[in-house]
Amino acid sequence: MFGAFRPTAVSLGGLLWKIPWRLSTTRKANVRKRLRAVDSVIEAVRASGVECGSLNKALELPKEHEMPPKDKYTTYSPYGRGYRKGIHKVPKWTRRTLRTNPKGF
Amino acid sequence: MALTTLRLRAPALRLSALPRASTTQLRAASTQQPTPPPAESPVEPLTHYRITLKRSAISLPERIKGTLESLGIHRRLQTVYHEHSQINAGKILRVKELVEVHNVPASAVRTKTEQRHERKAPRGYAVVGSRLDQSL
Repeated sequence: MFGAFRPTAVSLGGLLWKIPWRLSTTRKANVRKRLRAVDSVIEAVRASGVECGSLNKALELPKEHEMPPKDKYTTYSPYGRGYRKGIHKVPKWTRRTLRTNPKGF
Repeated sequence: MALTTLRLRAPALRLSALPRASTTQLRAASTQQPTPPPAESPVEPLTHYRITLKRSAISLPERIKGTLESLGIHRRLQTVYHEHSQINAGKILRVKELVEVHNVPASAVRTKTEQRHERKAPRGYAVVGSRLDQSL
């Protein structure tokens, strides 16, 4: 149980990166900041007066102030507890659109 | 010493202007900023997107990187100008997490060279004349 060769997660599994289960207050604040930055881009394109399909699709996305906290900080996962996992477990999550989830989840 | 260098540099400036270069080249050579005159009409129509890459596309899908290339963006914090059109709007929305976009009038559009000259620090002096020209 003790000693140099004790079976710990690190010694048994090799590389171990621990991702916290939930986001910290600061990281959540940064999430909201990024969401607002994307909102401003969509708003700028809308204000330009151009009409196109991709803009309609982008306008359907909920804005930062319309999203429930659940959608801001977690996302759908078929394997997670309650079909949810932290949004920070998604690869490249800070540079992807992850605003909407399946209806009912 | 400083005076001599000043006088030596002056003809070089003239030389660059001699072969009737285009107005943009002339403007680049001058120390003044190529700012347009204060707006004649109070409200100028916004016709262009000013796009700045804030987040890198490293390790994102090739199609996202290709979109940035087609917008003419090659590095982070680079700014490009594109006119309002459906194609450009679609490209911007494809990379909306990576860029910052503002609508600007046509007079605010700058080429890469003009942007560089605007960033440049002022020289701190102005060439008023040259003895070499007087002697000739």
